[in-house]
Amino acid sequence: MSDRRPADRTVVVWDLPLRLWHWALAACVLAAWFTPTVYDRLHRIVGYGVIGLLVFRLVWGIWGSRYSRFRMIGARLRAAPGYLWNLRRGITGRYIGLNPAGTLMLVALLLSLAVSAITGALSVTVAFFGVWWIEDTHAVASDAVMVLVVLHIVGVVLMGLLQRENLIRAMFTGRKRIRRHS
Amino acid sequence: MRVIRVLAIALTVGLGMGSTAMADGFKDCTKLDKASWKPAGDAEAKAKALGYEVRRSKIEGSCYEVYGVKEGKLYELFYSPEDLSLKHTIAK
Repeated sequence: MSDRRPADRTVVVWDLPLRLWHWALAACVLAAWFTPTVYDRLHRIVGYGVIGLLVFRLVWGIWGSRYSRFRMIGARLRAAPGYLWNLRRGITGRYIGLNPAGTLMLVALLLSLAVSAITGALSVTVAFFGVWWIEDTHAVASDAVMVLVVLHIVGVVLMGLLQRENLIRAMFTGRKRIRRHS
Repeated sequence: MRVIRVLAIALTVGLGMGSTAMADGFKDCTKLDKASWKPAGDAEAKAKALGYEVRRSKIEGSCYEVYGVKEGKLYELFYSPEDLSLKHTIAK
């Protein structure tokens, strides 16, 4: 991505706490992915980490900076079906924050992570230990998280190619380019 | 684009490692044919006799895995379906 023209300006989109949150969550989910049953202790620690990070995200959805807030989620979700339909022709529109597809992914990931982490934590309490539906829900939700993570990465890469912007770098630097046309 | 390639490779390697790691839990108790296994209920009864409150049991590889609670602590007990000997205990 070296087609940076002098007219391009960059703008801060993802604030620092959001970026740290994203990569901390990615690390926890990745660690949890590879540690069930065998590395039980680590699996549990990163699971509690995920719960803590989800709580932070809810707080940051209210008090974070503009693009961290959940304010636009409803409108973006309503736009998501049409947006996904248009994507087949490569029409992406231009969103500085999350586009409707990204918002849908955010909601799907947050929900499946919440179900996965909470059922996981419950399954090691005396009350819910060995309760089959807790275990099964944990397994299904965790599988859903893995599928969504893969889709998330594929989606970010494809969207980055379509819009000719390195979206992965943007989650490190927090900055995106502003252009007159896309 | 380098970042993407590195990510793709890391993901592939990671997925491969993950699937092997998952197959690494305790699961080898007997080579006996499944048809001649003793009933799972007997494994549960053995755990009960040891003072565990049995929550459930299931087949894990060639083991009966019994979920037991004792003095507020959680245990997974692995019994051999061949002779119902206790092969392994995991304190959760």
